[in-house]
Amino acid sequence: MLPMMLVLAILLPLVAAVGCYFLRVSAIRSLIVLATGVVLAAVSLALLGQGTFTYSPGTIVGISWDSLVTLADFALLFVMLYYAFKLKNQMIKIFVILQIIPLAVFEMFFVDHAVETPAIFADSLSLIMVAVISIIGSLICFFAIPYMKEHEEHLHLVKSRQPQFFFFLVLFLGAMNGLVLSNNILWLYFFFEVTTFCSFMLIGHDQTQIAVKNATRALMLNALGGVAFVFGMIWAYAETGSLDLQVIIQAGPMGGLMLAPLGLLCLAGFTKAAQVPFQSWLLGAMVAPTPVSALLHSSTMVKAGVYIVLRLAPAYAGTFLSQGVALCGAFTFLACAAIAVSQSNGKKILAYSTISNLGLIICCAGLNTTWAITAAIILIIFHAASKALLFLCVGTIEHGIGSRDIEDMHGLYLKMPRTAVITIVGVLTMLLPPFGVLLGKWMAIESASGDMFVITMLALGSAVSLVFWARWAGILLTAPLRDKVPAESQSVLTRLTLTALAGIAVVLSFFSPMLYTKLIEPMVGKSFEITAGVFASPMGVFAVYPIFIILAAAFIYSWIETKKSATDKSSATYMCGANVPETGVQSFIGPMNSPVELKASNYYMKEFFGEERLTLWVNFVALALIVLMLGGAL
Amino acid sequence: MKTIILIILGIVIAPVLGGLIAGLDRRLTARLQSRFGPPLLQPFYDVAKLFGKEKVVSNFWQVFCAWIYLIAAALSVGLLFAGSDLLLVFFVQAIGAVFLVMGGLSTPSPYSQVGSQRELIQVLTYEPLLILVFASIFMVTGSFRVDEILAYEQPLLVQLPLMFIVLGYALTIKLRKSPFDFSTSHHGHQEIVKGILTEFSGPYLGIIEIGHWYETIFILGICALFWHTSLVGCVLLIASTYFAELIIDNTMARMTWRWMLKYVWSIGLAMSFVNLIWLYAG
Repeated sequence: MLPMMLVLAILLPLVAAVGCYFLRVSAIRSLIVLATGVVLAAVSLALLGQGTFTYSPGTIVGISWDSLVTLADFALLFVMLYYAFKLKNQMIKIFVILQIIPLAVFEMFFVDHAVETPAIFADSLSLIMVAVISIIGSLICFFAIPYMKEHEEHLHLVKSRQPQFFFFLVLFLGAMNGLVLSNNILWLYFFFEVTTFCSFMLIGHDQTQIAVKNATRALMLNALGGVAFVFGMIWAYAETGSLDLQVIIQAGPMGGLMLAPLGLLCLAGFTKAAQVPFQSWLLGAMVAPTPVSALLHSSTMVKAGVYIVLRLAPAYAGTFLSQGVALCGAFTFLACAAIAVSQSNGKKILAYSTISNLGLIICCAGLNTTWAITAAIILIIFHAASKALLFLCVGTIEHGIGSRDIEDMHGLYLKMPRTAVITIVGVLTMLLPPFGVLLGKWMAIESASGDMFVITMLALGSAVSLVFWARWAGILLTAPLRDKVPAESQSVLTRLTLTALAGIAVVLSFFSPMLYTKLIEPMVGKSFEITAGVFASPMGVFAVYPIFIILAAAFIYSWIETKKSATDKSSATYMCGANVPETGVQSFIGPMNSPVELKASNYYMKEFFGEERLTLWVNFVALALIVLMLGGAL
Repeated sequence: MKTIILIILGIVIAPVLGGLIAGLDRRLTARLQSRFGPPLLQPFYDVAKLFGKEKVVSNFWQVFCAWIYLIAAALSVGLLFAGSDLLLVFFVQAIGAVFLVMGGLSTPSPYSQVGSQRELIQVLTYEPLLILVFASIFMVTGSFRVDEILAYEQPLLVQLPLMFIVLGYALTIKLRKSPFDFSTSHHGHQEIVKGILTEFSGPYLGIIEIGHWYETIFILGICALFWHTSLVGCVLLIASTYFAELIIDNTMARMTWRWMLKYVWSIGLAMSFVNLIWLYAG
């Protein structure tokens, strides 16, 4: 049963991807994507019920899986090298060669191939990741079906490029599942490279000049991460003589010698999770069609980076490296949230907020207490749901109004009430209690409170994120609005995915105490007593059920009051009494008695938070912090 | 059971106390300005009158947001009285703050729009300071739980004198006092149009006023934690702090939000650092 489930989780997406590529009929492709998604989701839940396990796949037709992975790995690296030559990018060439040569030397002369290393290991962390990838990732793939159809209509393509698109999109899910389930570090490295390559292909999908440029940058920075990974892996093998990730983690606390390889592996995680100063590739990734952004930002790719840092956390607990990781993460959290305040491009706000939240998760890994690790896992789960939802909302809005600028979203409720409300739900689940993201943030802040620098950065970062979220939710409602607005029409799959993701973000938050006791506590250890849905420890309490129930009642009551207000008198918008008298016109009488249309826009505070103003300094400080972190490890 | 009683007690008493404080505020302010001032219960008369007015709205989401603002503010006070977690209570309070801003943004009036944006800047200014105050309380007492903090045997003021001043900045902003009253002013002494509250009227404005009373009690309650060991000390501390607020309000003019953000963050962070380093060293 178990091997079957693993095959479905990792290899089914590969088979489905090939199917999507060759069976070039849109109906069959949609069916393949839907079926794969449903199976993946079911398998991920079944695996979650399975609990911790270790597994070695052995051989297939006389060849060991290990050699197959190695073979595929070199094939992939040479494909990347081909693209490096095609794109004429010197840096990528150097970075890829710096992976090929050490890896070849390592495989041929160092690795003892006689030693059996269990290829697959799963604990709660891996299984939660598999569930996040398979469920949220599949929902994003569903959304992509109607989205890509519209997208290609907008672009007036003669020949559909969807087969290739869905090939990489579906393959990505399998690669991610492989990555989080791998125990053999060579396997982990292989899947790490597959995600790099898939994201490169997906970012460049539209093949515009900017898409190619940004895809190249993504490949370059992630190849740099790959180099750090290869050297970290070889060094770790030199110290421990094992490819077994669990052995490497257990060897961590034994000596200071292990810190350097661990630091390099964390660095690889940082590049993949787009931490400052490597953020530019993820910001560039927003040129890709929306489902790609949603996938990269929520359940895959960046979560791979976070996963590696978090997976290794026990190995560097209590060391200087751990403190360095916490500082780097906290700094990213603050810096990216601050820059997000100055942005008006909806996708860019989301991108910066993603990097910022990943920083928070990495900071938790660095804090390295049971409490902080719990926070990190909770953040991974709920951030994925809310962020996927928000990206898909921006995609839907963009198709609806032709813009992703939040200034153009003033009064969106009048045009797209359903999407507007779901977007607001998405924003609130990112921002407010009793939802999961805030539960994680609460744990993070409380566990960081002993560290002066980290807590200051978290406090500032948390405040700046409130600014860009709250105003976005607010302006969607800006309109003189008294009557019910009829809901806009949406394709079934769009509505289904948006509703499902919003449902996951809200309903799963309600079950966060159960998630904790069933999945997180057995793995990381107990830090809270749960009674009646209240997280309690001598240090703090978070009453999930009571607050949830009271607020649900409050929302229902407020909605009833709102319904009752339908009979209230309408007031004209206040403009100092200078309103243009015609009804339905939002203008005032200006100079020369001519009407002036109302226009209000957000405060972007560019003199404090401007991207141009901050980026250079942020990168500089971040680089210094990384040097500090690695230097301390050496 | 005890918790529930405490929550209900908090929710019932807080608006009464908050209203009385608002009345006292108006009388004392009047005296400072050599006026006689309204009766002590004037805020209650005002709110009662607001509830008697005709309901007028410009966007139905205003109604929703006003109610959520009130309920979240009441809930945060209830949780504070019940001895819950400081950080949690603060985040529940933030629900109210966010919905007030959404209510303000829901109408196109430029006054309301600008007021809401400024309200966000005010939140941006005080939120990090409050989180640092809570973190410092944690460093002294080892807990974020109000019930555990109350069990600590020494007044927090002794170890956290500078943090109390930092809290004072947050208090001034939250009470909408000069020089930090950008989004709307507590007293109408320097604005003609009512900022974020421009488009709220009648009963809905009354709801927001009661919510504001809750918030006053919320933040004064946190001040009270700094001298929780004696009732007299506690009352003395709150009374002198509030009086200091009145003096500041009446001697300062409204400044710009840029100035507020720079000034409060730099002074607030500097004082927090110094105080936290004292704790480390001590």
